[in-house]
Amino acid sequence: MKTIQLLINGATHEVSIEADETLLQVLRNRLDLIGTKKGCDSGGCGCCSIQVDGKVVYSCMMYAVGAAGKAITTIEGLGNGGTNLDPLQQAFIEAGAVQCGYCTCGIIMNASELLATTKNPDEDQIRHAIAGNLCRCTGYTKIVDAIKLAATRIAG
Amino acid sequence: MSLIGKSPVRPDAFDKVTGGKDFPVNIKVPRMLHGKLLRSPYPHARILSIDTSAAEKLPGVKAVLVPSEVPTRKFTPVYFVPANAGSMVQDMLIMSDTVRFAGQPVAAVAATSLRIAEQAIELIEVEYEELPTVFDPEEAMQPGAPQLHEHAANNVAVNPVMGFGDLDKGFAEADHIFEGVYNSHRVHTCYMEPRVCIVDCDRQGNFTVYSSTQHLFGVREKLAYALEIPESKVRVIKAPYIGGGFGGKLDIGYIEPVAALLSKKTGRPVRIELTRYEDFISTTRNPIKVYLKTGVKKDGTFTARHARSILDTGAHATHGAEVINVHGVFGLLMTYRCPNSKWEGYTVYTNNMIGGGYRGYGSPQACFAAESQIDEICEQLKLDPIEFRRKNAWHQGEPHPMVQGLNLDSYAFDECLQSGAERFGWSKRQKPNSGKGVKKRGMGFACQPLWVSGCIGFPDIYEHSGAIIKLNRDGTADIATATMDIGSGQITTLCQIAAAELGLPMESVHMVQNADTTTVPVDAPTHASRTTYSSGNAVQAAARIVRERLLKVAGIMLDINPDQLSVVDGKVLIKGAPKRTLSVAEVVTRAESPFVQHGPNGPAPTTLEEKGTIIGVASLAPKANPSPVSVEFVEVEVDTETGEVQVLRVVYAHDLGKLIHRNGAEGQVEGGFQQGMGYALMENLQFDPVSGACLTGDFLDYKMPTAMEMPRDIQSIFIESNEPSGPFGAKSLSEPCITVPAPAIANAIYNAVGVRIRELPITPEKILAALGKL
Amino acid sequence: MALNLEDYYLPASLQEASTLLQRYGAGAMVVAGGTFVHGLEVRGLLSETVALVDISRLELRGISASGNGGISLKALTTLAEVGKAALISKNPAFGCIGDALRYPPRQILNVGTVGGCVAAAAPLYDLPAAFLALDGQVHASLAGTQRVIPLNDFFVGLFESALQRGEIITAIEIPAPAARTASAFLKLETNANDLSILNVAVRLTRDQAGKCTDCRIILGGGVGETYVRASSAEAALRGQAAGEASFAAAAAAVVADFEAVEDHRASAAYRRHIAQVYVRRTLATALSRLG
Repeated sequence: MKTIQLLINGATHEVSIEADETLLQVLRNRLDLIGTKKGCDSGGCGCCSIQVDGKVVYSCMMYAVGAAGKAITTIEGLGNGGTNLDPLQQAFIEAGAVQCGYCTCGIIMNASELLATTKNPDEDQIRHAIAGNLCRCTGYTKIVDAIKLAATRIAG
Repeated sequence: MSLIGKSPVRPDAFDKVTGGKDFPVNIKVPRMLHGKLLRSPYPHARILSIDTSAAEKLPGVKAVLVPSEVPTRKFTPVYFVPANAGSMVQDMLIMSDTVRFAGQPVAAVAATSLRIAEQAIELIEVEYEELPTVFDPEEAMQPGAPQLHEHAANNVAVNPVMGFGDLDKGFAEADHIFEGVYNSHRVHTCYMEPRVCIVDCDRQGNFTVYSSTQHLFGVREKLAYALEIPESKVRVIKAPYIGGGFGGKLDIGYIEPVAALLSKKTGRPVRIELTRYEDFISTTRNPIKVYLKTGVKKDGTFTARHARSILDTGAHATHGAEVINVHGVFGLLMTYRCPNSKWEGYTVYTNNMIGGGYRGYGSPQACFAAESQIDEICEQLKLDPIEFRRKNAWHQGEPHPMVQGLNLDSYAFDECLQSGAERFGWSKRQKPNSGKGVKKRGMGFACQPLWVSGCIGFPDIYEHSGAIIKLNRDGTADIATATMDIGSGQITTLCQIAAAELGLPMESVHMVQNADTTTVPVDAPTHASRTTYSSGNAVQAAARIVRERLLKVAGIMLDINPDQLSVVDGKVLIKGAPKRTLSVAEVVTRAESPFVQHGPNGPAPTTLEEKGTIIGVASLAPKANPSPVSVEFVEVEVDTETGEVQVLRVVYAHDLGKLIHRNGAEGQVEGGFQQGMGYALMENLQFDPVSGACLTGDFLDYKMPTAMEMPRDIQSIFIESNEPSGPFGAKSLSEPCITVPAPAIANAIYNAVGVRIRELPITPEKILAALGKL
Repeated sequence: MALNLEDYYLPASLQEASTLLQRYGAGAMVVAGGTFVHGLEVRGLLSETVALVDISRLELRGISASGNGGISLKALTTLAEVGKAALISKNPAFGCIGDALRYPPRQILNVGTVGGCVAAAAPLYDLPAAFLALDGQVHASLAGTQRVIPLNDFFVGLFESALQRGEIITAIEIPAPAARTASAFLKLETNANDLSILNVAVRLTRDQAGKCTDCRIILGGGVGETYVRASSAEAALRGQAAGEASFAAAAAAVVADFEAVEDHRASAAYRRHIAQVYVRRTLATALSRLG
């Protein structure tokens, strides 16, 4: 077992883990940050997507020990708590982009990086960005709508 | 009524965008152990011995389970039928010492951590006697093939044969006869939340179950039956929602019974979650090979149809015994008018993985065959394919071809064809293979003329729903129902129907989060496109009872006949006296207030008649099984050098009776297209031909459409034919959306490049081969 | 399946990393972005691994011009960073790199590294095919000693490279391209999150008369244990006028250059066919980039 410090959503967490645990396992099993989901555990579906230093990654493919000291953002870090939602979260609700919801948080974490780096992305850019996130329920149509809606609002 | 047809915000959306805390996969209970299944590497084998001693000694291992310890009563694991249903096959055991597919569980452990459980199963030594295998269903039917189940001669589990009229006469009358063989394959539902359960057995043998399931009461019934205990000893707690099902969570798999037995042994709750690989080998759409022979007059009228369907059910009959019927009856025999028809279905055992339920349930396999062949007929005879459908279609008002005693009271096939064709620009379709460049475009369409809204009329299938609705003193309402929300918006639709019926704003109606099998009426599963129609009916009925009671109390309070009262937007209104109102909150408060209230004018006794929680219960079967209608038009572009197919746009027209939630309905069409397109072009569960091991057990190898492959232009036209028996006129939507894409795409590919592929998936390779380029 | 790790190391220097790798021998794996190692782990291919040596803390990031017209990509530069670099995107000679990095998913591009995807020696990867087409060179370090290994000699077999035990890639150098050079890359995949069924990277140099004076045609994906340099395809093109006819000749010749893999993703016949189509298409793209 190793003890490491993880910086998650601005707070430092000290955890004792096995050396080979992935960030996904640590988030879900050790820190009860269950907003990040396991869909396939092999970097194929994107349900586990979070941000490390502002970049979207598959947390199931990242060893937790290696992530120590980097700025990790999970879905719990979006919005300001209570009913204050991130524009993406709000847009997903309004556009009807949520069905079963299992892929939702991973896609939001992905789109969040896109919108932070690209103003008013076009449909090509949006679909390219979320290609690494699978959704079985929505066909992606309203997910793309939601991201466009959020982008419009962010652009002001 | 004004809520119906709008798109109110989904009540569960906030939770899902902020983390989704209520998925069953998130549940933890105190003292929980982790279970893991050991799976056979051989596709057909007898277990000679199992040595678990090394596993048992591993620190942290609390129990081990082997086949010799499990109850011996066989059952059908399918949720929507009784465990001993006559039309199904009871060939399942919790664990068996005969292995019939690679990956079949042969032992299990429960340990204090998943890591230890994974190590422990590696320490179990199993001695197998390998047996000869058979993977092809037609080979399995031959004499001399390995017999997989004692009860099934020639490995045929069930063999329904249906027909009417005089087939020979019908073919004799035909001007033209067409024959073709159409093949469909294995695909997975790919629900994103894995199958998971926690089962807790207390010291008195009472089980509490959490499960990611499509059927709350199904878990109870099947688990109790498999364990040979009374149903009241199993309590299943409903999750507020689950992360997808699509029919893949419509049967009791191995995990709940195994977890139950491990919990009984250890005295602690046991959790089992499948890995994605295990999920891939747990359930699949049944592959069906269809031999289709059709006779038509030169004007396209059907004179005879003869179909033979060979369904590969894998190691156990489970859903295969029912899929074959739905496939044959709803997919082939009865879809169009044809006076002389015969259909033979064979559900065949093989050493492949067990076939399960999947949205469409046999109809996609049939629709691919039937609608492809109709396209071939029209091409050859130079007939208009839209006219062809019209000529052979059923009409509104006619007796339901399949369900005795019912009529097609609402049936807008014509309107679907017309509006879809118009919006799509079908008249611009060119002759096949008329494009000039490397990339060629084509148009195609397909129909699902007949489908279900639930299961009335089907032998052995449960079909009723129930709900309890109560009002609260703040003017809100709670609905408790066993109907599971698997992602398609059941919570939303039911709250919407209740709100519309009660006269409350949408935000005032809440779905109870954790009903359980002790607190709500029995309900059939979320499947067969039934929840809007059937659960909606029950919710509406319960809401009516509540509204009646509410207005009775309000009538007493206002001293007005309840006939003169209505509820609109949370207020009780009096006919002809619009200024005088009572809020629902006031009425409920009155009903639940102390017997004598102290008000500004002194003590005011209430009456016994006003007292008591305003609550209504309904548990009923729906009156009918109305048929939706579905037509889909697609345009594709085929790269004739690489064989790659891109779907450019889709127009979908569907008669759903009444549109309840527009945004949700569009979502069903769009999501259904992702699945249907994946089925048509790229998804394929593949196995090693010798060992039976799954080659596509993760998303790297199992390909499903991402946001980049999906067409960007998917338009939905919803036709409202107003079904009299449905809540606000609604009937079903969700399954036809996945049934029609494959034949529509196949037909569009033919139009684009002039090649007919009769085998799914239609890969680039198959197209190139058909073009003579490989 | 979990690993039986003794430890997960985060060495602070190349020296420390090399020492660890030499100590553990075959029992150690280098981790940079982690996606390759994790991919092996989930497929049960790391049962011998007892140590992970994470080199992501080393100062090995950045892209720079090498002064002579070439570029140097330090080993820990992420694929996303390479994709955004102006040095790459503004030079048609490096078109194949930009092309290779346009394929999703972002989650991999954000953590995958230049050194990692080369060291993996997995012909299914994309960027190394582009590097090969540009005659890239591996700069590696072992216990303070530097070495240059041409990429052409680097890939020995599946997951097997010319690196010695303990040797770590520090940079990939792309030599200065000749004048009038352009490159392109294409990947055949079933959906947008996929490893190559087949990929093709080409480089084309043309003189003022329009003749192809030099070229490289590289195949990756299901082509065998390692990337293939399609020498007979190159020979069919070299010295010819660069255009449809010579591209078709190169495409026809490419089939002889490799043993296409037959597997559940695609048949050998299909891969052979696509190789031809893609050789033509990438060469045409490269030509169009020459303007």
